[in-house]
Amino acid sequence: MKRELVRNEALGESYYSIDHDSGLKIYIYPKEKYSSTYAIFGTKYGSIDTCFRLKGQKEYVKVPEGIAHFLEHKLFEGEKEDAFARYARTGASANAYTSFDRTAYLFSCTERFAESLEILLDFVQSPYFTPQTVQKEQGIIGQEIKMYEDNPDWRVFFNLLGALYKNNPVRIDIAGTVESIAQIDADLLYSCYRTFYNLHNMALCVAGKVDVNEVLEIADKMLKKSEKQEIERCFPEEPSEVNERRVVQKLPVSLPLFHIGIKCDYKEMTLTEVSAMRALLQILAGESSKLYNELLDEGLINSSFSFEFFEGRGHSAVIFGGESMNSDKVEGKIIEAIEGFKKNGIENEDFERAKKSLYGRAVSSLNSVENIANGLLNSHFSNREFFGVFNSIAELPKEDVVRQLHENLDVNRIAISIVEPVENSK
Amino acid sequence: MEIRTELLCDGVDFISITEDRFLTNRISANIFLPLDKRDVSANAILPFLLRRACKSYPDLITLNRRLDELYGARLFAEVDKLGEAQVLTLTISAIDDRFTISKEKNTAACIDLLCELLFEPAFENGKFRQKDIEQERRQLIELIEGEINDKRTYARNRCLEYMCGNERYGINPLGTKDGVKNLSDDEILEAWRNALASGRIRFALLGKEDDGTAFEIFKEAISKIYRQNVRDCAPEIVGATGDVKEYEDSMPVEQAKLFMGFRAGIAEPDEDTYAMVLTAALFGGTPHSRLFLNVREKLSLCYYCAARYDRRKGVLLVDSGIEAKNRQKVVDEVIVQLECLKKGDFDDSELNAAKLYVANSFRSVFDSQGGLERWYINQIFDRETLSPDEAAARIEGISREKVMKCASQITLDTVYMLKGLN
Repeated sequence: MKRELVRNEALGESYYSIDHDSGLKIYIYPKEKYSSTYAIFGTKYGSIDTCFRLKGQKEYVKVPEGIAHFLEHKLFEGEKEDAFARYARTGASANAYTSFDRTAYLFSCTERFAESLEILLDFVQSPYFTPQTVQKEQGIIGQEIKMYEDNPDWRVFFNLLGALYKNNPVRIDIAGTVESIAQIDADLLYSCYRTFYNLHNMALCVAGKVDVNEVLEIADKMLKKSEKQEIERCFPEEPSEVNERRVVQKLPVSLPLFHIGIKCDYKEMTLTEVSAMRALLQILAGESSKLYNELLDEGLINSSFSFEFFEGRGHSAVIFGGESMNSDKVEGKIIEAIEGFKKNGIENEDFERAKKSLYGRAVSSLNSVENIANGLLNSHFSNREFFGVFNSIAELPKEDVVRQLHENLDVNRIAISIVEPVENSK
Repeated sequence: MEIRTELLCDGVDFISITEDRFLTNRISANIFLPLDKRDVSANAILPFLLRRACKSYPDLITLNRRLDELYGARLFAEVDKLGEAQVLTLTISAIDDRFTISKEKNTAACIDLLCELLFEPAFENGKFRQKDIEQERRQLIELIEGEINDKRTYARNRCLEYMCGNERYGINPLGTKDGVKNLSDDEILEAWRNALASGRIRFALLGKEDDGTAFEIFKEAISKIYRQNVRDCAPEIVGATGDVKEYEDSMPVEQAKLFMGFRAGIAEPDEDTYAMVLTAALFGGTPHSRLFLNVREKLSLCYYCAARYDRRKGVLLVDSGIEAKNRQKVVDEVIVQLECLKKGDFDDSELNAAKLYVANSFRSVFDSQGGLERWYINQIFDRETLSPDEAAARIEGISREKVMKCASQITLDTVYMLKGLN
């Protein structure tokens, strides 16, 4: 077992990075003054992993859309009792989520941490599926899917992904469809489980009130050593241009919603590159930018306006979202602003302000044990060091921001998704 | 952690929570006014108007640039409801001086800024500027209209409008579209003056240390206001009302949203409400509650079915996203589960699980700066102020008889469903 203490001197914060003998990577971030502990056990397996094989196997397996999320639900079930019933005896607040590229099981607690951690490590390592329980879950997830179909924020986002991407599985809804989940059975679940829930493909992150040795003792006791295996994922070719320029859906909403995306070429980015992109977006469309204030003054957006650098395994895009009576005009103004910066360059003053703001926000995020544990997991799966973000912002050169502007904001690769009100929405 | 409350003048206090576990400090001004149809819209626009500009930073872009310089300080304007009070809040949160790169004094600057935003708006001829009013009027109307986008929130508001139509509780704290549309600049100015003169006000500072600066700054500012009688925000507690009322709306949606509104008959500041909090958790507040285990897990009727009790009004809402055709099945099962609680048909392990869960959620509040601040601000009208630990201990001491007694007080008042067109 290898154990290393990683420090950030300026902030007085630190965490342990541990290679456990079982094959699992463990991160422990003690916060001595905290009352609660947050633990998350995750696998590098999400909704986009629908086609895969283990190294050495001949054929790729193609599985139904939504199966990673279905598996997440089913793991809570046990032969004797489900995980929630077990957590009920410790008082922990437990949950799980599936994203595009990972699935994670978590709890937070203020007392009886050791027992809850044992439950977490145990149930995630103990799959139990039967035809009856699979069928029952189809009813529950069916309602979850319908809930999202009525959610305009969710719809406008996924419609944009469908417009940006032709083949990339990021365009698929995380929960799948009522039809796709009907194809799921116990055997398929076991097959996905065996491939992706190997400890070498997973990580455990604990933050808050925690004693390192206590975690390691429980890990020694509970973790079943995994043989190292290599997963080969098969992603279809993705053209560089967008799939569709503009998509519209009608739903019962008051004001039209929009998501505007610019597709970027995917490559594994360094932290400096990611920070440069975030600074760029802050300069371009942040609350102190000319663009944001003009859009507000002209009545084209309201305070729901937001933007993000949407980046995961196999995909990256810049996305702007909000509500507007004239979404196409918003898009026009965004394009204009990007071209303006390309022509006129970026002011030093704007750059310095963006840096300061990003730095402060990154520091603030360390208030939350939830943010820390999820951030550690995310950094691990992206091969980045968690504290790296602070230096990457503090020492960010302006040229890097300019490079992102020219390399990754190509206004010819823009798509817009709009959700418009239906006539009889009231 | 050290907590100190000091009175600035009648109806205005300052609460200081000294706690060094966080990397940021948080300062807020909270004004409580009784929800009232006559001025709800004028009050609602105030935090958003104040968030736009002040004397030193006379427009939004200048103000937002200032926030960037304060290391990305966050400045929130919020309108909410607490019991039957309308709450107007301005909050600023920024990293502590220890963590600024060039050792700038971030916190003192934030306190000054918040104070100026509240007391010295960017006026023109003694009034809010027309341009600012129109901008915030448009956005507030969009916010009110936008509530329809989230079907769960929309259905909850509709249910409460029907159930509490004759109570202040049924009033949307954001106001109404027509109300906002017709606001005159004089009404807005008067609302601002009245809020400062007769609102119940609580300033809060949550940070590593409190050197007394914030108290002095707020005290100085409020001393210039001619304070009048403080408006009363006490809620009306309504018990069983007789026949169950049923309402439906339809809209092109895939999933129906069911809300069942119950009267719990118990609310602050009249009674210790923690036993009802526990009863609601046992009923439908956890993933091992009666509603989760039966409506979701056993009958597979939904993805969520939850109970929430508002202890500042005495209303308990159960809600679920369902197929419209299953409405009666779900309603019946919810009633069956409530009857079980009334009869004491639950075992000690279930009760203990609910206690652990609620106690855990209370104690977790210590680790969230926003949550901790809210915890203390929101107890402003309670019969007593408890720390999260004290409240958790209170929960742990509740007997099963007490829970049965609470359950037996819960009566169904209104059933509301938002359903699809087919």
